[in-house]
Amino acid sequence: MLKKFFIETGRYFLFLRIVFKKPEKWKIFWKQFFIEADKLIVSSVVLVAVISLFIGGVLVIQTASNMSNPFLDRMLVGYMVRESLILEFCSTMVALILAGKIGSNIASELGSMRISDQIDAIEMMGVNSASFLVLPKVLSVTVLSPLLVLLSFYLGLLGGWIVVETTSIIPAAKYLSGLKYSFSEYYVFYSCFKMAFFSFMISTISAYKGFYAAGGALGVGRSSTKSIVISCILILMFDLIITQLMLY
Amino acid sequence: MIKIEHLYKSFGEVKVLKDISIEYRQGVCNMIIGASGSGKTVLLKTIIGLMEPDSGTVTFNGQDISGLPYAEKKRFRQHIGVLFQNSALFDFATVIENVMFPMDFFTDWSRSEKIKRAKYCLERVNVVGSEKKYPGELSGGMQKRVGIARAIALNPKYLICDEPNSGLDPETSILIDQLIHGLTREFGMTTIINTHDMNSILEIGDNIGFLHQGRMLWQGDRHSIFDTECSELHKFICANSLARNIMESR
Ligand SMILES: Nc1ncnc2c1ncn2[C@@H]1O[C@H](COP(=O)(O)OP(=O)(O)O)[C@@H](O)[C@H]1O
Ligand SMILES: [Mg+2]
Repeated sequence: MLKKFFIETGRYFLFLRIVFKKPEKWKIFWKQFFIEADKLIVSSVVLVAVISLFIGGVLVIQTASNMSNPFLDRMLVGYMVRESLILEFCSTMVALILAGKIGSNIASELGSMRISDQIDAIEMMGVNSASFLVLPKVLSVTVLSPLLVLLSFYLGLLGGWIVVETTSIIPAAKYLSGLKYSFSEYYVFYSCFKMAFFSFMISTISAYKGFYAAGGALGVGRSSTKSIVISCILILMFDLIITQLMLY
Repeated sequence: MIKIEHLYKSFGEVKVLKDISIEYRQGVCNMIIGASGSGKTVLLKTIIGLMEPDSGTVTFNGQDISGLPYAEKKRFRQHIGVLFQNSALFDFATVIENVMFPMDFFTDWSRSEKIKRAKYCLERVNVVGSEKKYPGELSGGMQKRVGIARAIALNPKYLICDEPNSGLDPETSILIDQLIHGLTREFGMTTIINTHDMNSILEIGDNIGFLHQGRMLWQGDRHSIFDTECSELHKFICANSLARNIMESR
């Protein structure tokens, strides 16, 4: 078990070494980069948007109901919703969701290319198949995913505002002033950095699992499931580590 | 010319190839024949370097490519065209994009030159009017032909085909055989074809090696195959009723 862990980890880093080779042609790389950006990031926008809107709304209701103490300023609801969103929800929770969506997409695509010999075919043409297939995915996801954090943050706050406006939980003005209270840009950077880091993990792990898939269609499914499970566990582990390093 | 010497390959405990030595000449259809599971695909993949042999060497015109650094290996592979057992066309690309794929990487041609060359290759394999289709929309025989067109796109010196006509009807099968044979002659390629189809063997087998449980038991051409003393090959031939009749009438 432990031996297998070390072998897998070693193979993963060897894989990364092949992936991060200079592309054969930059023109082809950029074309693939935008195709992947569309397939992996742009197509996740709706999912992230819907979830963020709803979670923002729910957070307002929950926070307000937990702060019924009359000595607490109602403005703090807005403040706390903002902090929960930017610190944890917009990066970690969204990353967990993307681990499912992007991770399974990458692993199953590469896995099915592996078992139908398409990867071997690319390799036999004299092209570095790992670099051609994986590098555009990893880079586009890593570079562009922080935009999803910003989107999620914005829409989460909006979702909260909609709830505040349509109900009488707290006064809208209080919510808005809470949002502005003691705002730290560093948290936004922290959140975006976390997301980029998690996205790198999701894309490389699922690419690794898919690239070396074996055992027919069943094996592709297996590698896809495994890559999601591993990504999620690592996201939570590194969430702890990064937070300790960056916020304390 | 491709020369194989004392090639061994195993997966864990299972020994798949045992002491294979054979030479493949230029301009003729070299064949590896044998039952399913005899190790044909593994032998081909070892020859082209997708699998590492346990021991033994493969040389292309005297050059051993297994020890080359990756960058040079890649350069050498541009001279090898491969048709995989299940065609291995790229699902993400149309027929013509599949054929243009190697050109995108290794030529500086303009787009119209690439299209012209791709259309020429597709014409050679009799695929006309399906350029814009995706591989999933083609029949098995069409996929194989597009696979051949892609393999010959950059005029390779070596053409490797893994079961080019498995799963095809007899008529299409013969067409594909003749196509490979013709291209081999015309371009002077060193072609290796992997098959268990008796029809193909008798039609285009210039240099045949019979693989049985990982050993090369017999070598010869399509004319001498009926004179074989090898009992395993005898059995393999007699599984085909027409071939059995020829065998018995001799
Ligand atoms: N990647 C692999 N791992 C383990 N065993 C393999 C692998 N590839 C092939 N084999 C084994 O090698 C033997 C020969 O397979 P193959 O070369 O595909 O036969 P065929 O002659 O039908 O092409 C089979 O018994 C198969 O189980
Ligand atoms: Mg085979």
